[in-house]
Amino acid sequence: MSFLRTLLAAAALTVSMAYASASQVVSVQVNGLVCDFCARSLEATFGKRPEVASIKVDLDTKLISIAMNEGQDIDDTTIRETVIDAGFEVVAIERAAAP
Amino acid sequence: MAGCLHVRGADPPMLNDLWDIIVMIDERRRIRRRARLSGVAALLALAAQPAQARLVSWPEGSMLMTANDSRAYSLMYSYSTDARTAFGYTLEYWREADWQFHGVQANRLLKRWNFPDAQANIYAFGAVGGAYSTGGLTDGDWEPAGFVGVEADVEDRRYYASYEARLYEAGSIDGFFMQKARIGIAPYVAKFNETHLWLLLQVDHYPESDDPVEFTAFVRVFKGNLWAEAGVSDTGEPLFNITFQF
Repeated sequence: MSFLRTLLAAAALTVSMAYASASQVVSVQVNGLVCDFCARSLEATFGKRPEVASIKVDLDTKLISIAMNEGQDIDDTTIRETVIDAGFEVVAIERAAAP
Repeated sequence: MAGCLHVRGADPPMLNDLWDIIVMIDERRRIRRRARLSGVAALLALAAQPAQARLVSWPEGSMLMTANDSRAYSLMYSYSTDARTAFGYTLEYWREADWQFHGVQANRLLKRWNFPDAQANIYAFGAVGGAYSTGGLTDGDWEPAGFVGVEADVEDRRYYASYEARLYEAGSIDGFFMQKARIGIAPYVAKFNETHLWLLLQVDHYPESDDPVEFTAFVRVFKGNLWAEAGVSDTGEPLFNITFQF
């Protein structure tokens, strides 16, 4: 019984660690995203942050997808401020685990 | 100077020959100076080869811009401290009045409207420095100089329009007001990192010029960090602008 408890605890710990280190993708809907210059501006601004693994900008959907490095994240307030500092407006922020 | 030569045509032959020699020497000096200036401008334009054309780049981004049209050619380097403010160095050469401007320039995004599918901006800018005359009565003179201006633009992914007004002051060398408007259309809507193409029409208005209104049709191509514009005016003068952002 004791062995089983230890095994379950170890499994839970492993799952929790794996979850903690899973990379996230944050999708940000942005207003004012009308040209390559705007896209490049956001790419350059977020690209400087150590938490960011890669960034994709879609001018059709006005969506920027920010893939975070494993175990790292940027909170919504900071994302919002970074987008505003780059000269644009945030409409919505959504989070999902990387596929 | 050429006008003076005809007046002097009534003088005795020896004096007339001497005057011709003086005029020739002066003309050669002017040609050499222009050649030097053109060489420097060409080198600067080449240096500008690898970004984009707005008055303010992204935070901590730099921009190198060259612009050449029938009236002037210019080079500007700017560094953006944030998404609203940029500082830099500007060199301009005004062909008709034959003078250069060298100065430090500040650009400020006063207001931006961000819409779901469009964006509009109002910028203010100004520069202070010196004007160096390379011809005419003030040839070789330096004067404190500067300019101030405003620019407004609105664009979506298909249409573009902008307006710019500037006021120059360069003491005894020059001083004038100019304004410029542009409208453009993109024949296709490009995605991020694809080659973007725009067809534009520009109208320049220099109220104090002998030829105050000029129309220029040009194409704008941008891909990556490089932005280039090339066209021709209704007077047959070429336009060529390059911007590189890094």
